[in-house]
Amino acid sequence: MKAVILAAGPSERLHPFTETRSKPMIHVAGKPMLENMANALAAAGITEILIVVNHAQEILKNHFEHGHRFGLSIDYIYQEPLDGIGGALRRCERHLRAGPFFLVYGDILTSGDPFSQVLSRYTESGGAVAALSLPANSREFGNVYLNENMLITKFVEKPADPHLSNYVFAGIFLLSPNVFETLDKTGNDIEKTYQTLIEARALSGTLWDGGWIDISRPWHILEANRMLMQDWREARIHQSVKLEGNVQIEGAVHIEENVVIGSGTLLKGPCYIGSDSYIGNNVLIREFTALGPRSVVGYGTELKNCVLFGRSTLGRLSFIGDSVIGERVDLGTGVTTVNIHHDRHPIEMDTPDGRILTGMDKLGAFIGDDVVIGARNALGPGTRIKAKAVVPDLITLNSIQ
Amino acid sequence: MCGISAVTGREDIVHTLFESIKNLEYRGYDSCGFGIVQDGTVEVRKNTGGVDEVNGKEHLTSMLGCTGIAHTRWATHGKVDKINAHPHQSGDGRFSIVHNGIINNYQDLKSELMEQGVTFLSETDTEVAAHLIGLAYSEFGDVRSALLAALKRLEGSYALLMVTPLEPDTIYAVKHGSPLVLGLAAGRNFVASDVNAFLPFTHEAAILEDGEFAVVQPDRWAIYKIDSQAPVARKPFRIEWDPETSRKGGYPHYMLKEIFDQPQTIRNALATPLPEIVALAESIRRAHTTYLMGVGTTHYVAQVAQYYFSQLAGRFLPAVSSDEFNDLAVIGADDLLISISQSGETFDTRRGVKFAQEQGARTASIVNVMGSSLTTMVDQVIMQGSGPEICVVSTKAALAQMIILLRTALELARIEKRLEPGVYNAHLKSLGALPAVVQQALNEQSGFVRNLATRTIHFQNWLFLGRSVYYPIALEAALKMKEVTYLHVEGIPAGFLKHGTLALVDEHMLSMFFVPPTSIGELHALTLTAIEEVKARGGPVAGIIFEGDAKAEHLLDHRIVLPQVDALVAPFMELVVAQLFSYFSALQLGRSIDKPRNLAKSVTVG
Repeated sequence: MKAVILAAGPSERLHPFTETRSKPMIHVAGKPMLENMANALAAAGITEILIVVNHAQEILKNHFEHGHRFGLSIDYIYQEPLDGIGGALRRCERHLRAGPFFLVYGDILTSGDPFSQVLSRYTESGGAVAALSLPANSREFGNVYLNENMLITKFVEKPADPHLSNYVFAGIFLLSPNVFETLDKTGNDIEKTYQTLIEARALSGTLWDGGWIDISRPWHILEANRMLMQDWREARIHQSVKLEGNVQIEGAVHIEENVVIGSGTLLKGPCYIGSDSYIGNNVLIREFTALGPRSVVGYGTELKNCVLFGRSTLGRLSFIGDSVIGERVDLGTGVTTVNIHHDRHPIEMDTPDGRILTGMDKLGAFIGDDVVIGARNALGPGTRIKAKAVVPDLITLNSIQ
Repeated sequence: MCGISAVTGREDIVHTLFESIKNLEYRGYDSCGFGIVQDGTVEVRKNTGGVDEVNGKEHLTSMLGCTGIAHTRWATHGKVDKINAHPHQSGDGRFSIVHNGIINNYQDLKSELMEQGVTFLSETDTEVAAHLIGLAYSEFGDVRSALLAALKRLEGSYALLMVTPLEPDTIYAVKHGSPLVLGLAAGRNFVASDVNAFLPFTHEAAILEDGEFAVVQPDRWAIYKIDSQAPVARKPFRIEWDPETSRKGGYPHYMLKEIFDQPQTIRNALATPLPEIVALAESIRRAHTTYLMGVGTTHYVAQVAQYYFSQLAGRFLPAVSSDEFNDLAVIGADDLLISISQSGETFDTRRGVKFAQEQGARTASIVNVMGSSLTTMVDQVIMQGSGPEICVVSTKAALAQMIILLRTALELARIEKRLEPGVYNAHLKSLGALPAVVQQALNEQSGFVRNLATRTIHFQNWLFLGRSVYYPIALEAALKMKEVTYLHVEGIPAGFLKHGTLALVDEHMLSMFFVPPTSIGELHALTLTAIEEVKARGGPVAGIIFEGDAKAEHLLDHRIVLPQVDALVAPFMELVVAQLFSYFSALQLGRSIDKPRNLAKSVTVG
């Protein structure tokens, strides 16, 4: 069976990360988001994958190549112009005529395997199936109505009525090729296509109650990271890892190959250290930290609840908390992310939709790929630094004559 | 729900067919049958009971043949007997079918066929289909054309499997609204209601979609459209998931499935034939004292029903827990015992029934499992028709039992002229609307209930409180909550608070109130007073309330607000919300939801 994964869109809301990469290439728990979904697909026996690409496609293609590393066979479909999900499906149509296929949105992440559950539902219904999930803020999505046979009877997009809160489309669908006839009728409009299927009672639901998150804001990366890592139950340390004297490890700590950790360092799981990283002396790495491959962390630095995509250097005596840092970032000595306002003022962030409340108690900084931040800078709660930016050292004295 | 299965192979398939239907037994098990093609005919063996029981009676596994169909049934209503069990055959015996689903227009078709002189053996809609195929064959002389001609006449949703000695190695499979899936193995192919039937034999499957039929032989299979007969290219796929996943029919847990089944369960309980309900009401009328008996959840069902009999019919029916019954009940020849049991096998309840019978009392029972011990013990049985309940924690079966007892109280009140016809009709109307209202609540409130569970999950100690009929609702809700979350949850009458329970209240004890609609003025006011009593002691308060209840909304720290419904059915709505709340709380805690620790579904030992 084939699966189409949508990964073409530019997604301004996730800047600075999506300036330089596509959304599915945002890292969570040590891997690009898409790699988690690809692994779940492979586990469910779905190995022929079409990835629809456009924005920043090279990074994605370089990572996944033809999929053999993941037990998959991957083809790439280029979508230009970006004419919606219907348009993306159209470009894949000739590959999808043979039988039912999965449609997977690239911005969602689940813990566990929702695909088997959808397939199982399909063997019962013999028709199109949508995975449904129940997020905390379900009013930001569409409210789905079911009848007792699990057929979807109604779909209310972003309900204004405060009395509605139910399961929403989880971004995983199993469709049969006759969906293309419906797309013909709706002018390739996917919303209208779902509505048409629903009116014909031809779309059934399956309730997914494992972890699920739709990543649409930068702080969702931290939530997704936590969602995946909280299921970790054991420490896993590659045999090539070199721990110098007095390194202390607590909880579900995952350390990949060729990592070197200096003496006096404490790691509190769940946390993840990517391959070929160097962690200096007396570093404190706390819960829900995911350091990508080839990270370098200087002496006495503290990390807590943060995601670093990899290949970054953190100077000595820094603090990074509740933050997300892209690839190849260079942080000077003594850089601090301030993750809470002194007066406990709710943390806001500038977004393409204006300044909004994040709803997070603590939130640090979001630093794009290839940023350089000079020594001694303190970054306020909810700071966003665009990719490739250079922030000079914050030095009060150069010399006294 | 029924299960159907068919196998065709190059060698004898009878044991394979037996295992496949055995694996579908969870879909229903009140009767079972086999149809095996052999020596130019199809031999049918069928009887009532579970698959093993029927095998004992009919020696299914001693049959021989390479192609066959099988059926396991769960009748929601109607008689369960040998004649009505599947397979059914056409008049000439040439076509044998098993069927899952409903043929809506079968009465019309049946009268039409009877006018043409066709004799019917059973009361089933399935037999109509078999005869239609038989008659069409005498017209067309071709199996496929006969099948398709018959299908044109059938309305409804169904899945059919057919075998015929005319094509001894072929299974015809039709899907029209009910599930059907093909299983593919070397030299042997399967068609069944779901993949569980063939997972022990093959993991390769192909789906039939609605409006398609399949022609399946040991080494070949093909799928066609029913309307155009055009062949359909269908790629098989490999099933990688475990059998449990597919039994849950798209739900992550049986408990959630059974909660979401409730609109249908209520509909079934409302469709229990009126004469059966009236007969039970008449028995209560004739009896000097009628006891209501159950244990665990069914004891709370009995307690809920107590309020209906008192308030609607003016008759006090003592509810006694089965385990205490023999020590407490004073029962004799003039009395009636109504026992309530999902499984019909509950040890304590059977013991109570036996005791009552020894004292000469009349006995009646409300039971879900057809053919269970209780159904054979008592004088009068009402089958609640709720379908198999698999989660150890009972949800839908309990709700159906409450509805049936409420209907009995209403009939008793009508017969005894204690209800104005207008009021009686209004009550029936609000009961009739209940399935849709429950469906709406499930569709619109799940998110709120889940979020409430997230906010309150840190509480280790709970009081569930209500007054009047909301008191046994609170008891039943508390039982759900403790069974599935392992938390300390006590159901308490709200009126008890100041007589002792208030001593427990502090900031660590969350009190959950079952608040009646504002239309029941005094009861509502008393419940609000109880909320204030807890609040005044610094206890956090949560509640299930109805729209427009500004006072309660203001008092409560956490709330679920339901759309307004008629007061008669309001307790059921709150119970459904409480079931969902227990489910989401257990999910947060990572509990073993469908099989809580230390518990079993049917307690058959003392």
